Amino acid sequence: MEKKRFERPIITKLNTGMPNKIGLKTEYQPIRSIDGVAVKELIENYGSPVYVISENTMRSVYRQAYQAFSTRYPKIQFAWSYKTNYMDAVCKVYHQEGSWAEVVSGFEYDKAVRNGVPTEHIIFNGPDKSIEDLEKAIRNKSLIHIDHFDELYTIIGLCDRIKERPQVAIRVNMDTGIYPQWTRFGFNYDNGEAWDAINRIMISGKIDFIGLHAHIGTYIMSANAYRIAGNKLADLAVRTKAKYGKAVSYIDFGGGFASKNTLKGAYLPGTDTTPSFDEYADAITSSIINSEIKPEDMPTIVLETGRALIDDAGYILGTVLANKRMADGTKTLIIDVGVNMLFTSFWYDHKITPAQDFSHHTESAKIYGPLCMNIDVIREYADLPPLKKGDQFVISRIGAYNMTQWMQFITYRPKIVMIDQQSKVHVIRNNENLDTITQLEKVPEHLKSIKK
Amino acid sequence: MRQKELIISFIKGLVHAYGQIFFTNQRFFSILLIIVSFFDLYAGLCGVLAVVSAHIVAYTFGFNRTHIQTGMYGFNALLVGLGLGIYFDMSLALVFIVVVSAILTLFIAVMLEGVLYKYGLPFLSIPFLLVVWVLNLAASEFTALGVSERGLYTLNELYASGGSNLVQFYQWWNNLVNNNWLTTYFISLGAIFFQYNVLAGILIAFGLLIYSRIAFSLSLLGYLAAFLFYKMIGSDISAVSYMYIGFNYILTAIALGGFFIIPKKTSYFWVVLLTPLVAILTISLNKIFYNFGISIYSLPFNIIVLLFLYVLKLRYKPATNLLPTVTQEFVPEKNLYSHLNYKNKFNLFDLNIPVQLPFFGRWTVSQGHEGEFTHQGEWRHAWDFVINDSQSKQFKNQGDFAEDYYCYGKSVLACADGYIEEILDGIDDNAIGEVNLDQNWGNTVVIRHHQQLFSKVSHLKKGSIKVSKGEYVKAGQIIAEVGNSGRSPFPHMHFQLQATPFIGSKTISYPIVSFLLYSGEGTQLKQYDYPKVNDVLEKPLSEKLLLNAFKWAPGRVLRFEDEHRKYAWEVKINYLNQTYLEDQDTGDKAYFQYNNDILIFTNYLGSQKNKLFYFYLACQKVSMYFFEGLTLKSTIRPNEMYGKWMMFFQDFIAPFYIWLKPQYSIVYQSERASFLLNKMDLRVFIKHRKSNRSQEHFIEINELGISDLHFNIGDKSYHLKAQTNHL
Repeated sequence: MEKKRFERPIITKLNTGMPNKIGLKTEYQPIRSIDGVAVKELIENYGSPVYVISENTMRSVYRQAYQAFSTRYPKIQFAWSYKTNYMDAVCKVYHQEGSWAEVVSGFEYDKAVRNGVPTEHIIFNGPDKSIEDLEKAIRNKSLIHIDHFDELYTIIGLCDRIKERPQVAIRVNMDTGIYPQWTRFGFNYDNGEAWDAINRIMISGKIDFIGLHAHIGTYIMSANAYRIAGNKLADLAVRTKAKYGKAVSYIDFGGGFASKNTLKGAYLPGTDTTPSFDEYADAITSSIINSEIKPEDMPTIVLETGRALIDDAGYILGTVLANKRMADGTKTLIIDVGVNMLFTSFWYDHKITPAQDFSHHTESAKIYGPLCMNIDVIREYADLPPLKKGDQFVISRIGAYNMTQWMQFITYRPKIVMIDQQSKVHVIRNNENLDTITQLEKVPEHLKSIKK
Repeated sequence: MRQKELIISFIKGLVHAYGQIFFTNQRFFSILLIIVSFFDLYAGLCGVLAVVSAHIVAYTFGFNRTHIQTGMYGFNALLVGLGLGIYFDMSLALVFIVVVSAILTLFIAVMLEGVLYKYGLPFLSIPFLLVVWVLNLAASEFTALGVSERGLYTLNELYASGGSNLVQFYQWWNNLVNNNWLTTYFISLGAIFFQYNVLAGILIAFGLLIYSRIAFSLSLLGYLAAFLFYKMIGSDISAVSYMYIGFNYILTAIALGGFFIIPKKTSYFWVVLLTPLVAILTISLNKIFYNFGISIYSLPFNIIVLLFLYVLKLRYKPATNLLPTVTQEFVPEKNLYSHLNYKNKFNLFDLNIPVQLPFFGRWTVSQGHEGEFTHQGEWRHAWDFVINDSQSKQFKNQGDFAEDYYCYGKSVLACADGYIEEILDGIDDNAIGEVNLDQNWGNTVVIRHHQQLFSKVSHLKKGSIKVSKGEYVKAGQIIAEVGNSGRSPFPHMHFQLQATPFIGSKTISYPIVSFLLYSGEGTQLKQYDYPKVNDVLEKPLSEKLLLNAFKWAPGRVLRFEDEHRKYAWEVKINYLNQTYLEDQDTGDKAYFQYNNDILIFTNYLGSQKNKLFYFYLACQKVSMYFFEGLTLKSTIRPNEMYGKWMMFFQDFIAPFYIWLKPQYSIVYQSERASFLLNKMDLRVFIKHRKSNRSQEHFIEINELGISDLHFNIGDKSYHLKAQTNHL
């Protein structure tokens, strides 16, 4: 082996030219177009702000993820996490790619059915499933992931009434060496609760126990945590087979893969620090392949990853409303995208890129949304070139959660458009107007008129 | 009971010995030949005596009983017996000589079998030739034996046995067939049984026609070719010395045109080409043998057939025509139809060692057989596999590092069960774009699947090999990771099959048992096929439900019932390792081959009225894989779908054109399920465009196995239900 070369130590002053805790050098290009459609044109035709989803990115990221797993393990199934983005058009792209549906409420369940997903291909998760929801899921042979004992008892109770065997998995939580450890969902592995739940299910004799599910957390930056989860789940599978002679059909690793967004307070940008699909896939598949599960019993690996699949495909385009200097001298920028439309700005330092040419001189600015609320801050600090009123910008990687956790507040929610693979733009959700907002409202008779 | 069986098998052996002379085991033809042999009573008796003596000795010595029963050991003795019976008058001394000569013939047959076996050649009638020459040469000293005068005075004999009517009939016959070449043809046929008369020839020709249209037409073809050749050289085939041995052309034509070689255009062509050679040999050998006062009998036939068969075996390139018959069914038509059926179902390979793709997921063939880069010459039957993304790129980022390539570090699987034969590890991965020509193959694993089948994967990642030399691996087991070592400018997996165990052995052409092929036309399941360059492939996973229904271990009994009777079909295996279903009541057999990929029925012996026959037709080709909308096609032998008359005409032209082509297709349908399918229907259609003999069958499968069978043939339909104690 060659001897390592010695370099004398040097001391340099921190400057903004290198990635450091102050920020990034602004050597990036403006985003003038998305998938061949000009930003200017999009805003002109569909208003400002507007959500844009790239079908091309969705499909290619999905295929990357699927390939990473399927070239390592023979039985892989993705299930689209509805809560991440349940726009019908979005869901259908994933269903076309072969994804099943993962839902966490009666509403999402019905939406999946409405989207044409075979009920056997719907995974029903979450702590809140009503009796009606459960009954429907049992009759439809959907996969029910049991979260707690009370739910298990309800299901056992329903079995007597519905002459159909529920298809269930249990959700398991465990210590995978990461912080925080999620223990609020499912049954704990480490204290034996999960094994207890399996025993109760098997002894009831009325339920088909076919899967194991873990969702170890969100934005997991260490692929190794999944390896530990895999080992523990495989252990439960092996014990079930040994005790009851029953092999589980699938192991669901949930989601939690990080997207390339930069978390608030992170030292390095997300693009450099988040593990690739390959790293997650390697950890997950090798944990099952190397487990004591017999080759003929190898379960299907199910993945419910949402954020990592859709985040990159989503953009929000907006316009600068005003420049302002605060009393303390802070430079601020007011834009027409507020936190009600960009819920994830509470977690991430979203990347904001001007849509028109700029010089490389930047200044630090605080970015406010348009809401008449003090909390409406999109970025505490962002190094941006000087922007004028009316300038347009693109906020990238916002595909996950923003179109489900958004809030109608003060004004209407804007359009969502999807750019297809032929660069054709489709409105997949219209903007709201006074009627859409007020149509559910009812005014008591005595308040119909405001004249006394 | 044992004795009764022994007697039956003895009688069978006796009858088949007659048929064997024409390469058949068909009873009707054999009995006809027995009758012909008894045209001369004493000769007939001597023939029987010779076969019986040979067989008794063969039994007591414990020679191969199947050979005895099929007449393989008896037919040479038969010829010797017939020859002696014709030549000498009946006497006790003759009986004794027949018995000892038969025994000598048997010994020579067994010895020749031992010698020729390793060359894969038959001993034909060489034992007869050797013994008959010995006897001929010694005959002058057999003064106690009277030389028979029978056969010289045919009319006297006929008059003695059948009066003037028979004599008149005989003359009428002779006039009727007094066509020069046709008469000679019949006499040549009769001469095989030492009956130099037209009637015997006609009977044999008739038997030959009933036995096989191909053999019959070949006999005429061989004979006519010789006839014309004699014309051409200005000689006369009907000259006595040639006429008596005219059967040489006939037997050569049948043997090479359709019996030892699959009957095809080319085999017919070679019959026409070889017959003149037989004729020349006949003339020249006659000149030599004349000096010893003995006949050449079937010597030219033996020489040419053995020569040609042996020469064919020494072909270097894999043969595509003049293919030897692998499984001898003793009827040229059957050999042909079975061959076509095999070719269609197995691509000329049988199921013994199914080779699967050595990876998980979807890969692309970057270099196939006869590839443009390195898969040439002795290494032309190899594949290079890589992983492409949806933009058809093999790498992410700039592709400057091995780690950027999607296939790098991916698992390499054992393609079939076997022992690790050879391992080479410790060679560094190359930088992208560089090649290591010193250690060409890079890190490599060779697996021995069979004494003559090895698989090799190369360019593996250094230190990634997970198995050790001598270890037993199962198909699909992870053995290493893809790397970039050896002559590999960028990461890829080199996969090849070879017949010898060395790293660097030359490749052989061997198909992949099953793979999914993705293309613009959707997903196709390919079986016994060869991936081509740029194909996108995946190893399919077998479906548990199907495995459970069709994985028939020997001893398992499939029980069904309808309103009429119960059916019990037992899975059996014979000493040739052939697996078959046998109807426990009737003994009908349906032969099949199975591995975890596919079930293929290959042959059926028994009554075509039995439901087992319908089941056999319905399960011609059943894949153990499933995906929605999977449809498989196959062919069925025409002789299993059409009546004797239809086939009678088809048989004649079968080597050139098959117009009766029943098409078999099977469509998989399943109830949707989350993971484990619990119900599946297989719909089978058997169609032929030129007839309404369509059939439609349903096989219903549930967790317990096959639950229901529905057979619809024409307007008749049958429904068989599995009995509850099915398993």
